Amino acid sequence: MKKLKFVYVLMAIVIISSCVSKKQKEKTLNFSGAFALYPMVIKWAEEYKKEHEEVRFNISAGGAGKGMADALAGTVDLGLFSREIAKEEKDKGVWWVGLCKDAVLPTISANNPYLKILKERGLTKEEFTAIFIDGSITNWGEVLNVGESKGIQVYTRSDACGAAGTWAKYLGGKQEDLNGIGIHGDPALAEAVGKDPTGIAFNNTIYIYDIKTGKKRLGIEVIPIDLNSNGTIDPEENFYDTFDAILKAIAEGGYPSPPARELYFVAKGKPEKQATLDFIRWVLTYGQKFIKEAGYVPITQDKIDHYLKKLK
Amino acid sequence: MILKRVIFNSLTGTWMVASLVIILILPLIIGVALYIKAIPLFDLQSLPQLIGSSNWSPTNGDFGFWPFIFSSLYVTILSFLFSAPVCLFAAIHLTQFASQRLIHLMHPVIDILAGIPSVIYGMWGIIVIVPFVGDVLAPALNIKTPGYSILAGGIVLAVMCIPYILNMLIETFKTVPLGLKEAALSLGATPWESVKHIIIKKSLPGIISSFGLGIAKAFGETLAVMMVVGNMVQLTFNPFEAGYPLPALIANNYGEMLSIPMYDSALMFAALTLLVVILIINLIFRYFIYKTQKQ
Repeated sequence: MKKLKFVYVLMAIVIISSCVSKKQKEKTLNFSGAFALYPMVIKWAEEYKKEHEEVRFNISAGGAGKGMADALAGTVDLGLFSREIAKEEKDKGVWWVGLCKDAVLPTISANNPYLKILKERGLTKEEFTAIFIDGSITNWGEVLNVGESKGIQVYTRSDACGAAGTWAKYLGGKQEDLNGIGIHGDPALAEAVGKDPTGIAFNNTIYIYDIKTGKKRLGIEVIPIDLNSNGTIDPEENFYDTFDAILKAIAEGGYPSPPARELYFVAKGKPEKQATLDFIRWVLTYGQKFIKEAGYVPITQDKIDHYLKKLK
Repeated sequence: MILKRVIFNSLTGTWMVASLVIILILPLIIGVALYIKAIPLFDLQSLPQLIGSSNWSPTNGDFGFWPFIFSSLYVTILSFLFSAPVCLFAAIHLTQFASQRLIHLMHPVIDILAGIPSVIYGMWGIIVIVPFVGDVLAPALNIKTPGYSILAGGIVLAVMCIPYILNMLIETFKTVPLGLKEAALSLGATPWESVKHIIIKKSLPGIISSFGLGIAKAFGETLAVMMVVGNMVQLTFNPFEAGYPLPALIANNYGEMLSIPMYDSALMFAALTLLVVILIINLIFRYFIYKTQKQ
């Protein structure tokens, strides 16, 4: 008899806990994907929780590709995505809303021996293509016209990600066309290029600049892009000193797009879960005021209205 | 009462058989599922071409897996060369010469090493091994490398495999009867001679199987290797160059699966290749064990 009682109690516990967990599941939002969007979603989640205590968030960063794959497989509610959505992905029934903008910037180590020259003359798109894709420029001397020169060590991302996709698109290629040693994840890439005086790479703005100080993170520098290819960085091309300056350039179009790009939430079809829809609506309305503070660029009101319509 | 007993007996019987069957056919199910998913790739390219070609350009529909298979084998062999002697000597010392206290001390150390998640080994690789290879080892040999290399992958893997191989070796050496060793010593053999002719000879099948399992584990290890190996598609014998092992290919490009046609089949094929290679490694070591046991 005792045993039977135990079994009943156990069954009751299972039933009750399953009810609770189902309710909890309705209120739990799962995210995975782009490193670029990760800090922004963390910020939004924190603010959202202040108003909606019952909602729980699981957020993980693993590259935009993972976000897309997870979203389409239905293992997360929303994928974080940071490059243009490919036709193949649209064909698979992807649903998306744009949220904000950021950019991918070419980076070098602060210990690069040619830092001063690089900052004065910048590199043109053609020179970046020669370094990253063709591999026709392999040392700093060839591009900077200095005597003795060191070889260029190119770094890229190994995981399927938006930063590499966007940077490759700017240079007229795809992620797989980018040469160089593949590093997993944006923070690790910033670390690797910062440590190698001959290295060159690309990073998302949020991993280059420190949000608190507005300056570049220790050890990492940005290569200015010589947009008009006249061999020097003109004052209107020079907006890399502070976080605010580059954000302004992205917003006003001074920095080209790509490598500036919109960041998205993606899902397999329009989300059915009410909590998910509520959160997206909040992000596109009240959430917009945290964008600048978190180090991103807001999208235009037209676009927001367009995305809000998609929620209905 | 009797009925209850009959029911329970038959139930427990079938349960046990069922669990066994599940375990037995699990590799088959995995293999078949991967094969079915990989079929579209075979229409595109023939099997020898897939494995033998080193032309990798998924957007153009070129899938040559040889650089990945080669990198995997290279990293694995390197890690084996580093870890096998260390484990063998450590295990001999621990079981034959060490004090009881040292053995008691070693067991938790091995367990802790085995329990550390691979991402931590990867971080440790980036912080310690990559700079060691790039800033210490390479300049000493007059080579220029940033450190993200096959060698770094091999070293990290070796450290990860040590607890597994070591643990199994210790267990193997423990099973050698003490009498045999005592007999050898009483015949005038030195301790080293008794180890060489008795302990190692007697436990050869066990040594081979622990090495085999170590290699199979090393071949499939993903995250830690991926973080330090450099992930470049190229064929090179230079261990200071970057490589791109199969598991890293799967893990890195999981997200590209949906944006490039055929890529999902290609990744499934990569997984299938991984499974088959590990199976072959196991079979080879099984054969060796069979051979040595027969002698």
